[in-house]
Amino acid sequence: MKYSHLDHLVVERRGPVGWLINNRPDQLNAMNAAMRDEFAIAWKELDADPDVRVIVHTGEGRAFQTGVDMSEVAGDGVGMERYRDSVAHFDLHFTSWHQQVWKPVITAVNGICCGGGFHWVADADIVIAASDAQFFDPHVSVGQVVAIEAIGLMKKMPVEAVMRMAFMGRYERVHAARAYELGMISEIVDPPGALRERAQELAETIARNSPAAMAATKRALWGALELGLTDACKAGAQELVGMWGHPDQEEGPRAFAEKRDANWLPPDASAP
Amino acid sequence: MTYDTLDVHRNGPVGWLIFDRPDQANAMNATMLQELERAWVELDQDPAVRVIVNTGNGRAFQTGLDVRQLARDPGALREQSRRTRDAALRLTAWHNQVWKPVIAAVNGVCAGGGLHFVADADIVIAAPEATFLDPHVSIGQVSAYETIALVKKSPMEAITRLALVGRHERINATRARALGIVSEVVDSADSLHSRAQEIAETIAQHPPEQLAATKRALWGALETAELQ
Repeated sequence: MKYSHLDHLVVERRGPVGWLINNRPDQLNAMNAAMRDEFAIAWKELDADPDVRVIVHTGEGRAFQTGVDMSEVAGDGVGMERYRDSVAHFDLHFTSWHQQVWKPVITAVNGICCGGGFHWVADADIVIAASDAQFFDPHVSVGQVVAIEAIGLMKKMPVEAVMRMAFMGRYERVHAARAYELGMISEIVDPPGALRERAQELAETIARNSPAAMAATKRALWGALELGLTDACKAGAQELVGMWGHPDQEEGPRAFAEKRDANWLPPDASAP
Repeated sequence: MTYDTLDVHRNGPVGWLIFDRPDQANAMNATMLQELERAWVELDQDPAVRVIVNTGNGRAFQTGLDVRQLARDPGALREQSRRTRDAALRLTAWHNQVWKPVIAAVNGVCAGGGLHFVADADIVIAAPEATFLDPHVSIGQVSAYETIALVKKSPMEAITRLALVGRHERINATRARALGIVSEVVDSADSLHSRAQEIAETIAQHPPEQLAATKRALWGALETAELQ
């Protein structure tokens, strides 16, 4: 599949793995308004490509992501007002969760991840990081409120660590080793230069699993953050039942018995 | 009561529920599915039992449904499918509304549906050789109930990774403890039973009604957060 040309993101496919790379290295990959719009396109295109089984998101240069481009906000007199409507109505489109991507998403954090950069940590299924990765949330240090991305993180990891980052602002950083201890990330890659190679390898491993079963599992697990335990299990039961009769449920055990890789049906972009 | 696939017995105030199909890695066949419900109810109703320990005989803790056996038993498979669809499973203490404290003592591999018994226990300890994996998506199956409960109880990223990576990767006992999925890794497998008995006896010193009320209150925290 041919992807749209984007100015601030690199979108490409390597084997079964779709790559989304933040590409404003000179601005530490800060998200200007144009990049924000491009994310919406990039996620949808990677989701629609049947050859992409797993998506990896990382950044070019010494930062992964540093949130809203403050120089743009400060420079043209419009300020944060340009985002008022979309934030007030929670009408956001820059993460895989916002865009309802049900393929597995791995965030590979290179270098600095701060402020709005946490959106892509909170909304990924799997997060790995280079050993020199650093996390901090400077919102309150520049007179901004942090809400959406920290709320997502609080649902997924120990709350105290998230509150501390929110209130310490730019005066303290969480390093990769602590992020691993907290379960915010599941793997540290050292040396940092091996991050992309490892992300590709992990993604290829996951790509060996049934796309349909992974999509249903992902919906069931993210549902656990929306609903209470019993209701989430009832919703999960519908995902279980939805796979019954799917060809992958015959193919999986057969391939396992024959000691070969399974021939799964390709991911269905039209699935719920 | 007698059981073919479980070892159910008492030791002081502690009721033991042990998976006992070691040659099949303790996978749940039709008989075990029936016996589990009976065993939880029996131990729950016995006033002499204050705390329940759940473990497995042999090298595995629990490896989920015995799909091969169930394929030969259409009636049992149909019934299990109905219970899955209707969210009416009766495998674990939570499914059976057991309000006595339950300790899972994970003696070895815990795979797929075996994670139900980790997710639904109050306390989880493990032998050093215990490992956790979820092969569902590697054989075209969805992972839901057991990983949903684990998402509610543990750092989520570790669980989404476990569920999406399938049979290609495991969480070992040390990492499971660091993540808070288990609270204690014993020095050797030989001491797992004695340590589980010891923890259970400690808890059994507390008044049963308060333990049950506490358990109901805390599991209630995982239900809907809607304001009354």
